[in-house]
Amino acid sequence: MTGLPRQLVLLAAFLLGMTAGRAATNDDFENGIALSMSGQFPEAATAFGNAAKPHPSSGTLVDLGLAEWQSGHAGAAILAWEQARWINPYDLRAAANLDFARQVAQVEAPELKWYEAVSTILPPATWMWLTALTLWAILGLMILPGVLRRRRTGWHQWLAALAFGIFLFSLTADFGVTSRSNIGFIVRKNTQLRLTPTSEADSVSTLASGESARRLRTRGNFVFIRTPAASGWVAQDEFQTICPP
Amino acid sequence: MKALAFQLILLASLAAASLVRAQAPPQIPPSQFNQLMVPQPAVDTTAPITASATFDSPAIRVGDKTFYRVDVTFTESAIQWPKRLPVPAGTKMVEVARGELAQELPGSFHALTEFVYDVTATAPGQLTIPAFNIDVAGATVQVPAATLDTLPQGSAPPANEQPPRRLALQITETNVYLGQPFRVRIISPISPGNPIEAIRDVQFNGDGLMMDKAAGQQSVGPVNLNGQLVTAYICEYVVTPIAAGPLKFNAQGFTAGNQFGGLVIIHGQVTMPGGPTRFKLLVSDPVQINVRPLPADAELPGFTGALGRFFSDPPRLSTNRVHVGQPIELKTTFHGQGDLVRMAPPAVPRSRDWEIIAAPPPAITFTLIPLTDEVHETPAIPFCYFDPGLGKYVDLTIPSLPVTVIGEGLPAEIPGYDDDAKSIAPLKLSSLAMLPGVRVDSLVPPQMRATSIVFLMLPVGGFLALWRWDRRRRYLEAHPDLVRRAQARHALRREKQRLQHAIAANDIAAFVHHAARAMSIAVAPHFPADPRALVGSDVLAQLDDRTEPSAAAETVKHVFAAADAQFAGTKVELPDLAALRLGVDAVLQQLEAKL
Repeated sequence: MTGLPRQLVLLAAFLLGMTAGRAATNDDFENGIALSMSGQFPEAATAFGNAAKPHPSSGTLVDLGLAEWQSGHAGAAILAWEQARWINPYDLRAAANLDFARQVAQVEAPELKWYEAVSTILPPATWMWLTALTLWAILGLMILPGVLRRRRTGWHQWLAALAFGIFLFSLTADFGVTSRSNIGFIVRKNTQLRLTPTSEADSVSTLASGESARRLRTRGNFVFIRTPAASGWVAQDEFQTICPP
Repeated sequence: MKALAFQLILLASLAAASLVRAQAPPQIPPSQFNQLMVPQPAVDTTAPITASATFDSPAIRVGDKTFYRVDVTFTESAIQWPKRLPVPAGTKMVEVARGELAQELPGSFHALTEFVYDVTATAPGQLTIPAFNIDVAGATVQVPAATLDTLPQGSAPPANEQPPRRLALQITETNVYLGQPFRVRIISPISPGNPIEAIRDVQFNGDGLMMDKAAGQQSVGPVNLNGQLVTAYICEYVVTPIAAGPLKFNAQGFTAGNQFGGLVIIHGQVTMPGGPTRFKLLVSDPVQINVRPLPADAELPGFTGALGRFFSDPPRLSTNRVHVGQPIELKTTFHGQGDLVRMAPPAVPRSRDWEIIAAPPPAITFTLIPLTDEVHETPAIPFCYFDPGLGKYVDLTIPSLPVTVIGEGLPAEIPGYDDDAKSIAPLKLSSLAMLPGVRVDSLVPPQMRATSIVFLMLPVGGFLALWRWDRRRRYLEAHPDLVRRAQARHALRREKQRLQHAIAANDIAAFVHHAARAMSIAVAPHFPADPRALVGSDVLAQLDDRTEPSAAAETVKHVFAAADAQFAGTKVELPDLAALRLGVDAVLQQLEAKL
């Protein structure tokens, strides 16, 4: 076999492999849709969870949240919709469902600091790209005219100043994204907020499923969290952050 | 043909079942069931109480042993038996057993108690145990005298001498763990004077043992006893040690003629005795076993005392889809070698999410009730057994099984109201998203991934490198002498390599040419000038030691003179290469230091 046909065969095999991978993911998603439509919500939640595990996507997470909600898991549903908004802040379904769920479950949305609120305008990856592009633009505008023996013009400086402003803004948003990654939600009903990281610890208060909190540190199987009302320890399977560690 | 095949399959199934036993309830023989259902006659306590005393042998030689027996026709608990018997001084007599049984006579049971002493003849003559009185249920009963002839040591054996009958005790294990059941065989050999007889009311004398009478088996057949194959009545029992340390025990039982209680497996031909039954308490020599405690430090979770070698079938759930509060059944079966009958099932674990109820033993069944819909699998039920062969605990935990628990659904629609409490369109959940939508590789943001930071910094590094290169370029443009010197150093290195090649080839002409060129290159940046335009005097001008005649100056003159002559094509006597080489090296070293 000559070099070209062999390369074509390899390319075809590679594309086929990629198609198979996508098909497996789509199978789970479509299976979840079918199960949801037939009212088998726990099984649908499992299917959507399997679809979202390798490649999370906003639509899959919206559907996962719906299946979890119909299964009676308010915390898991709110977490899924928050993750959908994490990927795509403009997902209207996720936003509407979150409003509805919080009204029904009587839980508050997490309180965001100003830089965290800024970071919700765009997806995390977009902020990262914006930071990178503006940084490269600043450096390019400062360095390249000299290297290319061109005289720095006014628009060079104006553009560099604009890039610098956007860079600082996106840097703030990046910090907000990092900070928001510690926000999580209670996923089990009547979770005990413990005084110490032990199973037999005294209870500080009881948290409702779907309540938001911030992860501060981890010890063994317990996470120290801060809710708007109190701080304490919960078991790791009772609390999940938007981006799992 | 079909019938034969069926029989073969049935035989194979039975054989397999006998090899690997599953957990099953204790097997009680049908005769014992029948006995439980038939009204039993009362024990007769009104009959006159009699006592008899005999020696097993009428005569023995000094040093030999025999048994002294006293039979009392009443229950043992009512007999006030003396601690010491009135025996003559010097007599060695030790009590070895005592036992009672109920003789079944028409319409009633009669109790019989027998006391057995081991007697050793110490002196020739006649040994007489005199008659003595005992208190039996408030009445005085006389035990008659008994006499034994003792013959001198080495004398001819008495006529029709029969050694005292004893039981033999064989055990399968001598080193066992605490709680490890082992089999004990009680053997009553058949001799010409002793026909086959059943042994009943068997018991073991010794502390720390528990006997399973329900698991006893009787058989008659050949057995290896002290290296001899003899026919014997054998009964086997399962015994469990319940105390650690060395344990010494023996067995006793009454001969019972042809009163075989239950099933007896007979191998070969045997003769059953007829006539009335003569009850006689037989004893065995003691045996010792060493009972080791179980290692407590390596105990695994879920140990309930099971000893042996077990395995379990995969657990089965009655259903894997259940509502909160609805019970489901988890079943498993244990197989293996060991006491499955008395094996305690796994203890019920505590779980926040499940209520677990164990079925009564011996079934290994659990009723599981989910208390929340947030569980996705049944709880693992820890269990382990101790394998005496391996000497360690083996995990046999019943694993978790996936289960779907359906909880109470949450509302998908609620009525909506405006600020004036007027009804508006209801609030409801969105419809399903029919497409996966925006996809990412991971929910972890790129801001927290090292690869992203590296990717971000790579162009930054490129820009910085570019800026540094530009600065260097500008500096060199401002300082051309540095460029010339660097170029001269580079060219000088090349010429020196050519010099080395000329030396290696012993080519004095090439050596002189390259030496002159190297010197010109080394001094060119000082003028600055093209090296080809320089002559020997230019080189001499750059030497530190310019006073003539110096060795360096001479070398430069010689080299340039020879080079010029070569260039002009004139005949000139070339200097000695070896002598010139050292001088050239010294000059070049001096010039290179100034570059």
